[in-house]
Amino acid sequence: MARAMIKGLMLAVMVAICPGLAADDAMNPERAKYHYQMFCQGCHTPDGAGANAIPPLKDFMGYFLRSQRGREFMVRVPGSALSTLDDAELAEVLNWSIDNFAGVSLPAAGYVPYTSQEVAVLRAQPLQEIENHRASVLAEIAALEAQGAES
Amino acid sequence: MMSFIDRLLEQRARSAAQQAPRRGMLKALGGVLVGASTLPLLPVARAAGPEPTSRPQESGSETDCDYWRYCAIDGFLCSCCGGSANSCPPGTEMSPVTWIGTCHNPADGRNYVISYNDCCGKPGCGACLCQRDEGDRPPYRPDKTNDINWCLGTSSAAYHCSAAVVVGVAFEE
Repeated sequence: MARAMIKGLMLAVMVAICPGLAADDAMNPERAKYHYQMFCQGCHTPDGAGANAIPPLKDFMGYFLRSQRGREFMVRVPGSALSTLDDAELAEVLNWSIDNFAGVSLPAAGYVPYTSQEVAVLRAQPLQEIENHRASVLAEIAALEAQGAES
Repeated sequence: MMSFIDRLLEQRARSAAQQAPRRGMLKALGGVLVGASTLPLLPVARAAGPEPTSRPQESGSETDCDYWRYCAIDGFLCSCCGGSANSCPPGTEMSPVTWIGTCHNPADGRNYVISYNDCCGKPGCGACLCQRDEGDRPPYRPDKTNDINWCLGTSSAAYHCSAAVVVGVAFEE
């Protein structure tokens, strides 16, 4: 019993002196915005609206959070998966973009932020073909939504 | 007929005299005078106030290739083509799809995020060709390659010149 208490106490002390462990994926909005500007904004434009053939993030990217394949899609697209950002930075800029651009497309219940661990697994499988894959993901989400509206 | 007009006018004049306050005219005139005298106090000169903190201090000339914002540019300077570092020449359209990099501003020692917006819709301007290419990467990093034509979000893909717009302060790790 005493040993268990000491163990628990040691754990508490470790967590207390290593805030970095617990706050590994903490959002730094300035850093996230900078990475958005450097690696996303050139094509997706400052407000995420996109242009011509460039798909919008604004009021749209939240739809992808309505299915698992959609959630995975946003990490597996080349701009995410092949970027020079590390896993934590990529997770952060994705979460920041969702917070700032998803708008009306965000699921009513909100979303679970990406973690660096999740991003690491998903980006290891970058999409080779994007357009058809995207269309099928969106069709699947539309079907899910229709089902939800019926029931 | 004349007496009818007479009576009508008399009625109107009397009712106006009874209903309208005697000082109404003075009140209205006073309002106009005070209003006119306070107009110059309104904040019409806000643009001349302190600059927002993200706006960099400036040094150098926008028409020189050496100008700090052009550190990663590859093209004709819009400031030599009837536009400026921030704006396109008349008759051209600014591409919303841009090449983005950072440049060091010697005036305040900070790094800024610069968006190189191409101006499109006319043939190449031909003036002030400037190729500094800092941070330029080969085409297998397409978002960091400035050799391609960035007239992508515009109605015309004809490249005219490049602007260099400050979009923010670089995040320092």
